[in-house]
Amino acid sequence: MSLTFSLAHLMGGIILVFGFSLLSQRRLAAMITIYQIQAFVLSAAAFWQGYAQHEVNLYLTGLITLVIKAIALPIGLRMIVAKFNMIRAVETAMPVLLSTIIGVGLIGVAVLVVLPSTLSAVSLTREDLAIALSVVLLGLLVMTTRRNALAQIIGFLSTENGLVLAAIGMPGMPFVAEFSVALLVLLAFLVVGVFLFRIREHFDTLDLTGIEEIERRGR
Amino acid sequence: MFVGLPGQGMHVHLDALSLLFLGILLPQVVAGALAGMRNSPTFWVFVLGMGLALAAADAFTLILGFELMSAASWLLVLRGDQKPATLYVGMAIFSAACLVPAVFLPAGSIAFLLIVLGAGAKAGLAPLHFWLPRAHPAPPAGVSALMSGGMVKVALYVIIRYGFVVLGPEAQPWWGGVLVAAGAASVLVGALRAMLETELKTMLACSTVEHVGLIAVGLGIALRAKAMGDATTAGLGLQAALLCAVAHGLYKPLLFIGAGEVKHSVGTTSLNWLGGLARAMPRLGLLMLAGAAGMAALPLGPGFAPEFLLWHAAIGAAGTGGIVARIGFTALLALLGLGAALAIGAAVRMFGVAFLGRPRTLQAAAAEEGERGPLIGMALLAALCVPVALLPNLLLDALSPVIRLLAPQAAQPPLAYAPLPLAGLAGLVAVGAAFILYRHGVRGSREVPAWNGGFGKPPPWLPFGDPATQPSATGFGEPIARAIGRGLLAPGGADPSEAFLLAPLARLHLRGVRVAERIRRATIRQRLAFIFTALVAFLLALGLGEGG
Repeated sequence: MSLTFSLAHLMGGIILVFGFSLLSQRRLAAMITIYQIQAFVLSAAAFWQGYAQHEVNLYLTGLITLVIKAIALPIGLRMIVAKFNMIRAVETAMPVLLSTIIGVGLIGVAVLVVLPSTLSAVSLTREDLAIALSVVLLGLLVMTTRRNALAQIIGFLSTENGLVLAAIGMPGMPFVAEFSVALLVLLAFLVVGVFLFRIREHFDTLDLTGIEEIERRGR
Repeated sequence: MFVGLPGQGMHVHLDALSLLFLGILLPQVVAGALAGMRNSPTFWVFVLGMGLALAAADAFTLILGFELMSAASWLLVLRGDQKPATLYVGMAIFSAACLVPAVFLPAGSIAFLLIVLGAGAKAGLAPLHFWLPRAHPAPPAGVSALMSGGMVKVALYVIIRYGFVVLGPEAQPWWGGVLVAAGAASVLVGALRAMLETELKTMLACSTVEHVGLIAVGLGIALRAKAMGDATTAGLGLQAALLCAVAHGLYKPLLFIGAGEVKHSVGTTSLNWLGGLARAMPRLGLLMLAGAAGMAALPLGPGFAPEFLLWHAAIGAAGTGGIVARIGFTALLALLGLGAALAIGAAVRMFGVAFLGRPRTLQAAAAEEGERGPLIGMALLAALCVPVALLPNLLLDALSPVIRLLAPQAAQPPLAYAPLPLAGLAGLVAVGAAFILYRHGVRGSREVPAWNGGFGKPPPWLPFGDPATQPSATGFGEPIARAIGRGLLAPGGADPSEAFLLAPLARLHLRGVRVAERIRRATIRQRLAFIFTALVAFLLALGLGEGG
């Protein structure tokens, strides 16, 4: 039983570390790779939880995660990067050191929130929940600190990874919820992909500063 | 008066108080209709709203009538000018925002304060009077007359109805103190601005602020005395307030309609451009003189009896209560005296500058007598002024059911001022003097060098004389502006409530708009960051709250 806990926590920790390195990574191609590894670990965590909780649904979740997030989405992202010739693109809106410090603070906030407010719950879910919340907050931070639309999407996907991590750690979570979240992410990716192509057509860049400028002038 | 809701139907009931205010309203409506507003549906909706508010027996009907009145009068002000109308509608919305919750609150001090704020703003009580000198002069004269003479009375009616009748059992002495303080400030600012204002209709509106203040002082003294069980002072205060309302409802519409005729005939109502109108418009001049006598509160005029009663009430109130109240009411006496002196000055200046002397412009020189309709309306109001001026005792007898309704225990002493014998005596003296002059006076005519009324000799190239040789309205006001205005008004002669209440509000509004605009212009990332920060702050609060 203790192996269940420690392995689950280890995998959660690995996901958190990858979420953190997503924050400090400046190159788009590397960000995609990090995201892909994060998704792999997530699917492994889902399989392990399925084995520990004896739930068939969790195996299914792991499978969906593996197929959609660890394989399909990175391929799509890489195609976009190759198409737009952004393999070497480097951009941030905030100094990396500053965003890293903020990220550490966010993890502190997550621990501070989850640990006292779930004292009565099982210890397996408590630490898992703290890690999952940290991943969600880090993903949101990536979304706010990046200028590039593609980097913002990766942040969004990483946020969603945190949600799935919270869901698989929670015994008795219905499968429908996880399945629909996965589907939603796929749809969001498709929609955003179309938008990216439109933005690219108009501005020759995925940097959103241009749009912001136009918004400011237009009103 | 019960609250009443839309589903229950409307209730109308006429008691002595409603009848009195409807009676005040009736001659003004006739005069306003005669002054050219007969064919305007909005005018009649305005009148209907006022009537509905006065006759209402439940709070819902009262508010409905009040707001109908506000909306219709806004449309009428909008005919004159847009800016005052916007100021006016803002004030009307504020007043509604105070009145609507007030009528639903349980009887108590909060309800009373909200009533005074809402209805007082509508009546032009300081410090919420700044809209009145701007909005009242804007619409056509007939509407100005009804707004100044009637609409403020409806607002005062709401204060009376709630302060004395509906919330009467809960009344506290300091409620009266609030009304007295607001009224005293209105008297001072209104009279001072009326003395300094050079635009005829604006000056009349400032004078309305002063008279509303006088009525509020009377009501406040009565409310305080009623709560303290002082029967005589309560009766005197109510007599003063109601008589002042009746008198003001007659001579102020008269003056406003007259100002409209001046505008019609000369093309302007700026006092500095008028002069010598009594020669070109003798009938209008005579009627305006009657109105000015009322406004000045001179003995034998309609405005004197209320002031006389008010002084008596203030003296009575100064004899009761603690040391602060005694000092305060004694100061109030001095303040009322100052207000009366300024009112006389304003009336004399208005009549002297506009109707006497020499024309200051060609337009003023070419003025012609006003039209029949408005003159008939003014004559009606002036004729009604005569009994108010000469027989105030009879009028007070007629008012006694109202006073019994408002303060059942109030004593109603007979008036110690009898203008009719006084007028008779004055007439006797005049006849006697004329007789003596006729019998023993010097016969024949004597040649003396012309004094020429104090004017300089007009230069030959200016047939009507140099306007600069005649003191202007600004010039008449200047000594007062230097002596009192500097201390009481804001820098530049602006209204203190405008400078210290409206301007900071406007700045606050501008700042709020800028913040809102910045939020609206935020980029996607800024919005994301904002939501993100809010989320983190919420989580932090949750965590700290749970941990602590």
